[in-house]
Amino acid sequence: MNDMRIVERDVETREIKIRGDKVQVFYGDNHAIKDVDIEIQDKTVTAFIGPSGCGKSTFLRCLNRMNDTIEGCRVEGEITLDEEDIYNKQVDPVQLRAKVGMVFQKPNPFPKSIYDNVAYGPRIHGLASNKADLDVIVEKSLRRGAIWDEVKDRLDAPGTGLSGGQQQRLCIARAVATEPEVLLMDEPCSALDPIATAQVEELIDELRTNYSVVIVTHSMQQAARVSQKTAFFHLGNLVEYNETGEIFTNPKDPRTESYITGRIG
Amino acid sequence: MSKPHITSAYDRDLEAVQAHLMKMGGLVEAAIIDAANSLETRDEDLAEQVRRNDRQIDEMETRVNEEAARLIALRAPTAVDLRTVLTVMKISNNLERVGDYAKNMAKRTSVLVHMTPIEGSASDIRRMAKSVELMLKDALDAYIQRDGALAEDVRLRDREVDQMYNALFRQFLTYMMEDPRHITGCMHLHFIAKNIERMGDHVTSIAEQVIYLVTGEMPDDARPKGDKTPYMAEPRG
Ligand SMILES: Nc1ncnc2c1ncn2[C@@H]1O[C@H](COP(=O)(O)OP(=O)(O)OP(=O)(O)O)[C@@H](O)[C@H]1O
Ligand SMILES: [Mg+2]
Repeated sequence: MNDMRIVERDVETREIKIRGDKVQVFYGDNHAIKDVDIEIQDKTVTAFIGPSGCGKSTFLRCLNRMNDTIEGCRVEGEITLDEEDIYNKQVDPVQLRAKVGMVFQKPNPFPKSIYDNVAYGPRIHGLASNKADLDVIVEKSLRRGAIWDEVKDRLDAPGTGLSGGQQQRLCIARAVATEPEVLLMDEPCSALDPIATAQVEELIDELRTNYSVVIVTHSMQQAARVSQKTAFFHLGNLVEYNETGEIFTNPKDPRTESYITGRIG
Repeated sequence: MSKPHITSAYDRDLEAVQAHLMKMGGLVEAAIIDAANSLETRDEDLAEQVRRNDRQIDEMETRVNEEAARLIALRAPTAVDLRTVLTVMKISNNLERVGDYAKNMAKRTSVLVHMTPIEGSASDIRRMAKSVELMLKDALDAYIQRDGALAEDVRLRDREVDQMYNALFRQFLTYMMEDPRHITGCMHLHFIAKNIERMGDHVTSIAEQVIYLVTGEMPDDARPKGDKTPYMAEPRG
């Protein structure tokens, strides 16, 4: 079945942005990701769903080498971004993470001002030549994070002083400030109220016209609303990967069906 | 059937709406049989009862649709649950239409009992109605059992109903040509036969819903269309 929502926003043919080939992840002896092959399209929102502990966050972290920072974590197989191996020795993980931005499950603002939280990335990557440019980027990013109106009068206040939901939107603003090509979001809305959730979902849909977005979510409705492709993980395996419309109306694997319909599986 | 939901109230909601649909199906089956019997036995009271009972079928349809809408709003069903709710809504619509046709049969019966009977026709019509009622029974059983093969069988049997209709059509045409005094009665009988043929189409649609429910795909091959008899009197072009 074709996903009819694709016609809503005009998007040219989708190329493969990220390709995973026989990806394995181990935490010591724990084999957390097993032989995952996946092709993630450009200009598409891909949702990762699955029960707690199935490896969604682990796999997501492989895509910008966040697992490098975890003690005892080993990644095998191949992952390419635009056909280039991201685990190649020549690749600088910091540069990679500017291209492949991430929003984490728990909001993690820097202990700095709201302004500096957002300005940090653009500064180190030289995206603004003067203060006025930087101001523009900060405002635009905070607007995209659906938090501008709440913080515009206190940009110098510490980011850590915001509410949990506001902190998360600040982190989204920070992630989009460097104009990444791929945005990885790990349960970005778990601390947000329905209005902020809708705003973030609208942002995700807007980002999709230019970027590839991968979102981990425990909300089936959110996956159904925002994504065009859905990947279902179970015990470290990628069980089913298909058009979102197809996954939610006619899943092929009984494990997928049990999970999305809320059955005892 | 499939595994239970973690939230058992969800299962109860789904069971309730399907139980109401099946109850509605039972009323419709009875309406078909009673309408056909009232014609054969020239029982005006029974015909009147079929007409009155249609209200109940309409009310059941409203109720089933309200329950289905509520389920969509509150439980956001997906996959097989979504297909269940969608098919419940479509089948209730098909059943309501079959009920309407039975009611129309009963109305015409109320007229026909005051006219000279046309020999053999009422029992032919009863046989045709009985086939459709059996198809409906099997379609509803297929629904309950999630039996795609039985649904497929029902779908194919619709062809026999079409053939019965074509035979009756020719028979009525002959009567009318033989004796113009038969025209009014034969026209009523013809509309009754046509109604039953349309019931068969709705029952076929129910069977197709069962196939969609079970497989996730609508059957795509068009049913074989045979005889063109009913179109022979229509102008070309
Ligand atoms: N930093 C870590 N060190 C050791 N083991 C880990 C680490 N992170 C995850 N794991 C293990 O890897 C497996 C997958 O965990 P992961 O966090 O990827 O699951 P998840 O699908 O994101 O779950 P959730 O939905 O609860 O966030 C689990 O068995 C978990 O215990
Ligand atoms: Mg996680």
